[in-house]
Amino acid sequence: MRSIRRQMVIWLLAIVLAGVGLAGWMTYRQAQVEANELFDYQLEQTAAALPAESFSSVLGAQDQPDEGVVIQIWRRDGVQLYYSHPRVPLAQTARLGFSTEHTPRGDWRVYSAIVGDNVVQLAQPMSVRNELAAGVAWRTIWPLIVLLPLLGVAIWSVVGRGLRPLGKVTRAVDSRRPDALDPLPDARLPVEVRPLVRALNGLLDRLAHALDTQRAFVADAAHELRSPLAALQIQLQLLERARDAAQRREALDDLKHGVSRATRLVEQLLALARAEPASTALSADVSAKAEPVDLRALVEECVRAYAPLASQRGVDLGVEHAEPVAISGDADALRVMFNNLIDNAVKYTPRGGRIDVAVRTHRDAGDACVEIADSGPGIPPDERERVFDRFYRMPAPDHVAEGCREAGAADVKADTDTDTVINVSGSGLGLAIVQRIATQHGAAVELTDTRDGHGLRVIVRFRLS
Amino acid sequence: MRVLLVEDDQMIAAGVRKALRADGWAVDWVQDGAAALAAADGESYDLMLLDLGLPKRDGIDVLRSLRAKRCKVPVLITTARDAVAERVKGLDAGADDYLIKPFDLDELGARMRALVRRHAGRTDAVIRAGAVTVNPATREVLLDGAGVALSAREFALLDALIARPGAVLSKSQLEEKIYGWGEEIGSNAVEVYIHALRKKLGADFIRNVRGLGYMIPKEA
Repeated sequence: MRSIRRQMVIWLLAIVLAGVGLAGWMTYRQAQVEANELFDYQLEQTAAALPAESFSSVLGAQDQPDEGVVIQIWRRDGVQLYYSHPRVPLAQTARLGFSTEHTPRGDWRVYSAIVGDNVVQLAQPMSVRNELAAGVAWRTIWPLIVLLPLLGVAIWSVVGRGLRPLGKVTRAVDSRRPDALDPLPDARLPVEVRPLVRALNGLLDRLAHALDTQRAFVADAAHELRSPLAALQIQLQLLERARDAAQRREALDDLKHGVSRATRLVEQLLALARAEPASTALSADVSAKAEPVDLRALVEECVRAYAPLASQRGVDLGVEHAEPVAISGDADALRVMFNNLIDNAVKYTPRGGRIDVAVRTHRDAGDACVEIADSGPGIPPDERERVFDRFYRMPAPDHVAEGCREAGAADVKADTDTDTVINVSGSGLGLAIVQRIATQHGAAVELTDTRDGHGLRVIVRFRLS
Repeated sequence: MRVLLVEDDQMIAAGVRKALRADGWAVDWVQDGAAALAAADGESYDLMLLDLGLPKRDGIDVLRSLRAKRCKVPVLITTARDAVAERVKGLDAGADDYLIKPFDLDELGARMRALVRRHAGRTDAVIRAGAVTVNPATREVLLDGAGVALSAREFALLDALIARPGAVLSKSQLEEKIYGWGEEIGSNAVEVYIHALRKKLGADFIRNVRGLGYMIPKEA
């Protein structure tokens, strides 16, 4: 695992070490330059101090182990007069002034000068000077090297102290119950940690919002599931109580309707949960699913799917006008939306009625509309806002209510007009789903009167990019 | 016994109505709060089954206006609202009992019978008159300890009469007790059922009060 503290210690120590090394190297170089100047001056002075008159050769002087300064003296005619260290392999030539010679025994600094009649050459091993410089450098850096472990410990503890607020935040997050989504305290936090805590708080806030939406949704859903469940339980008990085959068949029929209604509600709930803005904000964005959709083909497909049901109910469902429109969106979600709208229209349109579906583009306004106009009872203007609320159901249209009232005949068969019953017992979710899916696609849903004033016209307006 | 069923869910209403009718109840069904108030104004019911989430007027609202009008009909709330606060609110608004959906039909029947019994001031689940014993729960009728088989309508008629011994019920009151709205009433159906009951339970068990109606005499 990557540890900030370990990384800091390693990197800081490495940098300090490199710095110390560099300082040592520079000290060494500086000391070398100074030692050179000093020793060169010394060589010069020594040369000047040698006797200027000619003297006889003293070749083969005793071999001194100390090779501090090697001296050679020639006469002007090239005859060597003196050589202090014959074993030292110095060239037998002399260039006047300073020079550095490379020999098998290292580099030598050589100074040659003419002193009187003689040519004097003084040589000194460079190692002497280098050792001196190295000594200076070493004395400069060793205290730093000794301090290095201490520095490491200091960095370790300072970094630890600096990271302590992170530990505090970690503990605060750790000790939370999963449903505690109130913001973390961000006072007295270092500026480096505060943005992290702020970002976390922002996320917590969004999560809390999403969770609230989900909670409200689940509460509503739980409440709404009770009605179909109650119906199922009653239908099941009636089936148990059935005394003969006819009653049993009828009870089974009712039970089947009850099950399909419960199934439909659950399907709608799932569709709504999928279209719920909060849930999509948490998971993948809708735009991730966006693909080019042929609106005309999609709408025609939905109409085709509902044609059998419509004709069975005696409703004339058809496409009145369709222009080719391409939009970008989630085809599955859009299909759910149009199916819901057509389903509603088929449900509320009485036998002999008519449903016109149209796809139009308004290039000048930059939008495309899908219109579904039915000849049903319509929705009064003051209800048009509320019908988009989850689980809101319009009061049953009067003709249906009357039908039910009158269905209370003594004969049990008379109230098996289950068609009427299924007709209007929707989930109360259809238009909420439509609204959510439209919003996801940046589309607007409008409820208006039909052109001839009877029934409802639903317009889904897509913006064309 | 005549019950007003106030329920906007048509499937539930259809099922409950079927079950209650099979038990001999006369059931009138309305789907919204306004209709419930109108019905309670116009007819006399032995019981009201009230859903709370209703279109037009909320169930609690209906209940409050009923009680404000001094209507004493026993009210059993049947609702999906299961929170304790909701139950308290319902009972405090004047309901006599509270049943949460989904419910068991047997339990619904038992609670309805209990409410009717309590409303009539009886504590015994079994009603006795002379040699006849009626158990509304099991719909068992005994004559001198021996079981008597009655049809649903015959039982409903007997149940209505025996609930208040000594009270005279007119033919139309009896019709009201045994037929819900829209149920076809035979022209002399009540006489036919009375005749059948007398045949099964003894000729003078049900007395005819001329010009007024029928009664089961109070025991001395």
